[in-house]
Amino acid sequence: MLRMPEPDQHTLAKRKDIIAAMKDIIPTPGGVIVDEDQLRPYECDGLMAYRQLPMIVVLPENTGQVAAILKYCHTHKIRVVPRGAGTGLSGGALPMADAITISMMKFNRVLDIDWDNRAAVVQPGVTNLGITRAVEHNGFYYAPDPSSQIACSIGGNIAENSGGVHCLKYGLTTNNVLGVEMVTIEGDILRVGGKGLDQTGYDLLGLITGSEGLLGIVTEVTVRILRKPETARALLLGFNSSEDGGNCVAEIIAAGIIPGGLEMMDAPAIKATEDFVHAGYPLDVEALLLVELDGPLVEVDYLIDRVGQIATDCGAIYSRISQSEEERLLFWSGRKNAFPAIGRISPDYMCMDGTIPRGRLAEVLTGMQILSQRHGLRVANVFHAGDGNLHPLIMFDANQPGELERAEAFGSDILKLCVQVGGVLSGEHGIGIEKRDLMGEMFTSDDMKHQERIKMAFDEDQLLNPGKVFPTLHGCGELKTLHAKAVADKFPTIPRF
Amino acid sequence: MVDILTPTTPDQLREAVGWALGAKTPLEVIGSGSKRSFGHAVQADTVLDCSALSGILFYQPEELVISARVGTPLADIKAALAEKNQQFHFEPGNFPALLGDGAATDAGTIGGLVATNIAGPRRIKVGAARDHVLGFEAISGRAEDFKSGGRVMKNVTGFDLSKLMAGSFGTLGVMHTVTLKVMPCDEQSATILVTCDDPKTAGTIMTAALGSENEVSAAAWISSADITSLDVPLALEIGSGLVAVRVEGPTPSVAWRIDALCKHLAQYGETRPLAESYSQRLWQCVADVKPFIPAADASADNASLLWRVSVPPASGGEIAARLMDVTGGRVIMDWAGGLIWLQINGLDAFAQQVRDIAMTVDGQAVLVRAPASMRQRISVFHPENPALARINAKIKDNFDPEGILNPGRLAPSSTMGEGA
Repeated sequence: MLRMPEPDQHTLAKRKDIIAAMKDIIPTPGGVIVDEDQLRPYECDGLMAYRQLPMIVVLPENTGQVAAILKYCHTHKIRVVPRGAGTGLSGGALPMADAITISMMKFNRVLDIDWDNRAAVVQPGVTNLGITRAVEHNGFYYAPDPSSQIACSIGGNIAENSGGVHCLKYGLTTNNVLGVEMVTIEGDILRVGGKGLDQTGYDLLGLITGSEGLLGIVTEVTVRILRKPETARALLLGFNSSEDGGNCVAEIIAAGIIPGGLEMMDAPAIKATEDFVHAGYPLDVEALLLVELDGPLVEVDYLIDRVGQIATDCGAIYSRISQSEEERLLFWSGRKNAFPAIGRISPDYMCMDGTIPRGRLAEVLTGMQILSQRHGLRVANVFHAGDGNLHPLIMFDANQPGELERAEAFGSDILKLCVQVGGVLSGEHGIGIEKRDLMGEMFTSDDMKHQERIKMAFDEDQLLNPGKVFPTLHGCGELKTLHAKAVADKFPTIPRF
Repeated sequence: MVDILTPTTPDQLREAVGWALGAKTPLEVIGSGSKRSFGHAVQADTVLDCSALSGILFYQPEELVISARVGTPLADIKAALAEKNQQFHFEPGNFPALLGDGAATDAGTIGGLVATNIAGPRRIKVGAARDHVLGFEAISGRAEDFKSGGRVMKNVTGFDLSKLMAGSFGTLGVMHTVTLKVMPCDEQSATILVTCDDPKTAGTIMTAALGSENEVSAAAWISSADITSLDVPLALEIGSGLVAVRVEGPTPSVAWRIDALCKHLAQYGETRPLAESYSQRLWQCVADVKPFIPAADASADNASLLWRVSVPPASGGEIAARLMDVTGGRVIMDWAGGLIWLQINGLDAFAQQVRDIAMTVDGQAVLVRAPASMRQRISVFHPENPALARINAKIKDNFDPEGILNPGRLAPSSTMGEGA
C-alpha cells in the first residue's frame, strides 16, 4: 500500500490559527474552505482510488495572495498541495491531512493575445480548450490537446507536461510554453522565459514544466499559438495483427511523413468504443490505425494517397478515408471516447501511461497478454503510435476483494515491461503517487538524488507537494554531503597529455 | 603548464572528475574546443577533453532517434543522418566559425552543441537543441553518474534534466552520452525573396508571413550590405536588402504555399521565388550567419564585435533599426525578427546601450565575439534577474559543490555571480 508522509501533529493543532491567517489573506467569502462537506470534492483528483481530505482548501484570486500564502506556509513550515482542475491521472493533486490545498481555479482569465508574436498570455486556471476558444476566431489554436482538454487547466498541463494526440508533429506542453510567472515557496515571484526565444542562464522553464507541483506555483502562462491548418482528413486502417499495424507506422515515418495524429487501438478497445459511440470501426481487425493529415488541402490530399498506398503495401485489410469534417470527427469520437467506453464494460478501470520505442510494440503487447492471464484481468490498449505512448486500460471491479491490488500489480508489471524494452514509466500523465514507487525501475539512487537536488534549490524544506514523484525524499543534509566513494584519491588511469 | 585529461570511456570520465574533486582542481571541460572563446575564460589549469568519448551508439531512423557519445563530431552525425535523408530539425549552423578565434572551422561536437543549446533558422517553428534532447548520461561535479530522460519521444518521468543540461555550458555535469530526436528531411524546400531595405518594414513582412496559414519554417532579413556573401545569384541581381521566407513539405504543398505567400506579401515589395538548390544554400548561409564570419586574415586592426540579441519576434524590426542607429553596426535578422545578429566594427561594444535597447521589449543580448580582454570586463551573457540567479546558484552548488566544472565560464572573473 502506498505510504504518504505522516501528518504533522503540530500543524494539525494549529488549524484554527492557519484558517484565520488564510482568511486574512483571502477575505472574499468562500475563499477559504474548512467544512468537511465542502472539502469533500477536493479529496482526490483523476486517480480516484486514492482519497484524503485536505486540512483546508484555499482559492486565491491573484498572484499577491499566492505569494502571501506560500510565504506564510514557508514561515510556519506548513505543507502545500497545488491543484488545478483536478483531472490529473497520477494523483499529483492528492491532498494531505496536514496540508493546505491551493486551488488555482479562480485564475481563469485570458490576459492578452499577442497575434503578431503568436502568443497568448493566460492565467493557469484557463482550460486547455479555453485557450483555443479564445484565439480560434482569428484562425489560431493551441496545439497540445490532452483527452481531458475540455476540463484540464493549462497550469495542470505545465505541471504534468501534458501531451495529446498531436505531439509527434507539434510537440508536448514543454515545446509550446514560452514563459511562466511562478511563485516560490518563499513567496518570491519569478518570471521565467517570455516571448523572446533565448534566455540566459539555466533552462528553468524546462525544469518547471513537468515538475508536478514540486517547485512552485505557476500564476501566469505564456503559450505559443499556431495558425489552424486549412484542413484535416483522417484515414482508418485495419490490420490482421498489431505487428502489421506497427510496421505500417514505421513505414509512414520512414517515408518522411509526420502525420498530425497517429493512433492505434487493439481489438478489445475497438470493440468497446464501437459499441459505445458507433464510429463505424471495423470489428474484424486486430489493430486499427487512425491517421490524421493536416495542412493545405493540396498537401492533405497528396499525403492521404501516399499513406493509403503505404498501408496497402503493409497489408491493410480495411481502409476508409474521411469524406467530410463530420466523418473525420466521427472517426476521432471513437478514439477520444475510449476511456468511457471501457468504463461501460467494466465496473472500474485503470489507465496506464508508459512510453516504449515503437519498434517494440508487438513484443510489449504480447507480454501484456501473458500478464493479463497471470493477473486474471482484462486489458484494452489505445496507443499514441506516432510517439510510442501506450495507454493500457486495465479492467477490474473494486468491489471484489483484492481486485484493486491485482490491477495495481498488473499495472506495475506493464510499466516495468516498458522500462525493460527501453521505454519510460510515464509519457504524459506524470509520476504523482501512482508511479512513485516504480521510479527505481528507471533511475538509480544517484539519478534520483540529482533530481532531488533541483527540488532542494527551490524548496529546501520540502513543503511543496510532499510524497509525490520521489519514493523517498532524502534530507537536504544528506543530499549536500559529498560521498567519499566519488572522490578518487589515486591518480586516475586515464590518458594525460 | 596546462594539463590535459582525455578520458576514452565513461568510467575514465568519472575517475577524472573524481580526481579533480578530491584534489579540488578546477577543470575546463571541452569537446573539440570549437566554442571555447564563447563565454568567459575558464579559470582552470586542467583541461578535461571529451573528444575521445566518441562514436554513434545507435541510430534508428524509423524511430527518429540517435544516441552518441558527446565527443562525436557533429559533421559525422550530420553525415549519418543525411544518408537516411534525416536531419536535426533545429538546424544548427556552423557557430564556431563566427567566433573568429581560429580554433575551429567546423561545427564542433554533438556534446558542445547540446551544452550551448544552439539552433538555426527553423527554431521559429520547431525550437532549439533543448527541444530535441531526449536524454543524456553524465558525471556531475560530485563525481557521480546521473542520467535523465531516455530514448522515447514522450516522457514525464521525473524532472526534465535534459533541458537543464542543454545550454548549461558544462557547468553542472560532464555529459558522456546524449540522445536526440531526429526528423525526416522535407520532400521540398522553397524560398521567396521580398525586396526590402528597411528593417522595420522587414519586421512587418516577416510577421505577416508567420501569421499566415502557410506554415513558414524560416524568415530572415539580410541588408544590401550583406547580400554579396550569400552567394545566391538572384539576390545579387535584386541588388537590395531582402526578406527571405521559406516553406518546406511535400512538393505540391510547397508550390501551393509559395504561390499563396507571393500573393500575400506582394503588397510589401517585389516577390521572387528562389530555385530550390539556391534556397538551401541561402538558409545554410543564414544558419552559419555567413556574412558575419570574420575573414581568416582578420587582424586586431579590423576586428569586429558580434552581438546576438533575442527579442519577441514582432519587435525585431524596430529593435534592429535602433541598434543600427545607436551603434552604427550591421544587422541580420533571423527567427522572423526574434534573433538579431549585430556586428559592430571597432572595439566599442556599446554594451549598456545594446542591453538597454533589448530590455525595452524584455529582450536579451549576448556578446558572442569579442577580444578576451573585453570579455573580462563585460558580461558576455545577459545579466540575470537576481531571484533567478539565486536559484541558479543553488542548482550549481548542489551539482558541483566544489566548483570544479568550468568555473568562470558564465560570468566575468570580476564578479562572483555564478550561473549568470
